[in-house]
Amino acid sequence: MMRLQTRKLLDRAFAGVGVFAIVLMALALIAILLPIFQRGAGAYVFRATVEHRRQMLDLFERGDEDVLVKEMQKALEARQPVLEALASYRADQSERLNEAIGAADRLAQRDDLLGRRIARAVEQLRHTADLRQQIDRLSRIEQLMRPQSTPDMTDDLDLIRDITSELEVQAAQYGELTERLRQLLGPLPGDEPRILPRFRYGQARWDRALIKQSQLLYIEEWDYSDASAMGRRVLSPRRDLFADTALYPLFEHIENDLEAMLRPRWTFYGRFLTDHSVDAHFFGGIGPEALGTFYLTLGAMLFAVPLGIIAAIYFAEYAKPGRTVSFLRSCVSTLAGVPSIVFGLFGLAFFIYTIRVSPGKSVLAGSLTLGLLILPTVIRAAEEAILAVPREYKEAALALGAGRWRTVLTVILPAALPGILTGTVISMGRAAGETAPIIFTAAVSVGVALQPTEVFTQATPALSWNIYNLATEHEAVDEIRHVQYGMVTTLVGIVLLLNIAAIWMRARISRKLRG
Amino acid sequence: MKIRNTVLALIAAAGISSAPAQDQIVIDGSTTVGPIGKAFAEYFMQHHPGINVVVSESGSGNGARGIVNNSIDIGMMSRFMRETEFKACADNGVMPVAHVVALDGLPILVHPSNPVSDLTVEQVRKIYTGEIRNWRELGGPNMAIVFVSRDTNSGTYETFNNVVMQGETIHGSCEYVGSNGAVRQRVQTTPAAIGYAGLGFVDETVKALRINGVMPSEATVITGDYPVARALYMFTNKYPEMGTPLYRFMTLHLTPEGEEIVKSIGFVPVTQYGF
Repeated sequence: MMRLQTRKLLDRAFAGVGVFAIVLMALALIAILLPIFQRGAGAYVFRATVEHRRQMLDLFERGDEDVLVKEMQKALEARQPVLEALASYRADQSERLNEAIGAADRLAQRDDLLGRRIARAVEQLRHTADLRQQIDRLSRIEQLMRPQSTPDMTDDLDLIRDITSELEVQAAQYGELTERLRQLLGPLPGDEPRILPRFRYGQARWDRALIKQSQLLYIEEWDYSDASAMGRRVLSPRRDLFADTALYPLFEHIENDLEAMLRPRWTFYGRFLTDHSVDAHFFGGIGPEALGTFYLTLGAMLFAVPLGIIAAIYFAEYAKPGRTVSFLRSCVSTLAGVPSIVFGLFGLAFFIYTIRVSPGKSVLAGSLTLGLLILPTVIRAAEEAILAVPREYKEAALALGAGRWRTVLTVILPAALPGILTGTVISMGRAAGETAPIIFTAAVSVGVALQPTEVFTQATPALSWNIYNLATEHEAVDEIRHVQYGMVTTLVGIVLLLNIAAIWMRARISRKLRG
Repeated sequence: MKIRNTVLALIAAAGISSAPAQDQIVIDGSTTVGPIGKAFAEYFMQHHPGINVVVSESGSGNGARGIVNNSIDIGMMSRFMRETEFKACADNGVMPVAHVVALDGLPILVHPSNPVSDLTVEQVRKIYTGEIRNWRELGGPNMAIVFVSRDTNSGTYETFNNVVMQGETIHGSCEYVGSNGAVRQRVQTTPAAIGYAGLGFVDETVKALRINGVMPSEATVITGDYPVARALYMFTNKYPEMGTPLYRFMTLHLTPEGEEIVKSIGFVPVTQYGF
């Protein structure tokens, strides 16, 4: 009686632990996958600003030019007060500068060598457009004159010194402010055209624009006053630097009217999947990477599946049990346990340096390496599937007079197909996701989408490698996290789809076989 | 019959496309020179649409190896070639030619919350030899120093080793990471960390230290005032033949466009140097 109860209790405990484990696994899966998908979706669906639409038109010739011109006009209208504030601040500054130049002029009114030198310097100054250079030259004049000054010159010299030191501070503050403005809204009127696209546009994404906005509005400083602890981050409003100047209203505009300046709109950027990247992934999509992953996976399958199935048939049907076969089997098992980076180095040493399948890295070399990597899995899955075919099938076929080869081809293989397919598709997911084997054999960080004929000689970007590359090697990765997450989501999505396809295919084929 | 035809077609296709590719420039090597290589590649492809420029970043050592084995067109390196590599090149019939594409300082980076902002080369060396183990000894808070270095395959490591370590060995508790970006990532997430990376990798998430009282910048690198500086190279096998795509690519850094690209990524253009 007691024993039965104990057993029931144990039974329940086991069931409980099992359910708990499954729930835990499901939760972990959700905890890992949900944030990935959520963040990755941001690469496809986001609030795109008018700058994004400008890029699309410039770089990919997409969108309606007339509509965009009208929209841009509205955006520029909204930006007008900002530009006006900048212009009137600059006007105030040149007024101050002119005061100083006037003082220098007065100093030049001496009929001696020094006077003539100053006059020449002032003349040069008038031909300089850049405010910073003008300030530089003025302060040089002041420093030149100071040691030789007579008492009547002191007032003018002091005036020049005061104005130049004041303007110097302002020019530095103004320089930083305009740099932030450029990041937010794109080049300002009068700027030299820039070469790298990342400097030609304002923020294309509203979420990034908000970050840039707060960097413009607030200065990040570190307070080191407590020497025994790490510094504290202090945010102070940038507008305080510009109190009582013409720039003061600019901050209110940026704070309140940014939406009108950038006109964000929810956008679905589906061609993120097929577009090529522009300027090291600052713009555009992940087309070459996705295509590269496709080529590499397909190539690995073309190599590994026929070879794997043939090997499996040999093991299951032809090989006579013995030492050689068990040795070969354990070889296959060992191969399955070899770390993937070893395959990568082997691929480099063997396929590229020794038999030279291609002059350097290529999709072909990468596919062969990946193929080797998944070969054991394919062999194992296929062998299991073949062994699972009921003996009666084989015996019936042989009894009807079919040869061994015919039996395998027409009876055993079709019956084993669901299992073989499942193993194949699962290893396909593995091939798509592996990074280490392709680092040295196929993957590059920048490259174009390849034509099918180019895969024999050329290297390609691939999703798995470029995720790693963006995360660790890109010089401005914090600006383009959405691309990194977009790649991750796409890769996880592809692998997930492949696995679902495997399950579906298996169900379909076994239903067909049964029916 | 059908199968045989397909096989023949495949072999033919492989034969055609494995002829030496004139329409491809293969670049590999230093992760420091990488951003320059990538930006040049995209600018170049924009203007020469038929040519595929592929860039990988696997460290200066691999750049040299690629040149030695003649498996790449351009080897990016943030250090000069070693004697052994030159010898291996000569043995393989490869004549390496160095092109200096940019100059670079090696800012020593700490977390922005770190109150220390001024060190001497000697102090940095003592941190890496393990002699100074706490920020307190340098005027900072009481915190054990986490020191991060690049892997030994990297040219950045070699520069640091030559200029800062000067023959002394880095202490065993040092953390080695594989790229400039990884150094920055480690430093920006670890308040007690110190590391080093190329000029182009400094942003507002990390703080560059004054070394011997000099801030790393374009100006101080050119004048030689900033002590930890080096040239960034691209190596080719012989000087590229005039008029070839490779020649056009290898002269890009001398044009105003190349100069602007180098500058806007954060490095110092060679065209700035001079007298």
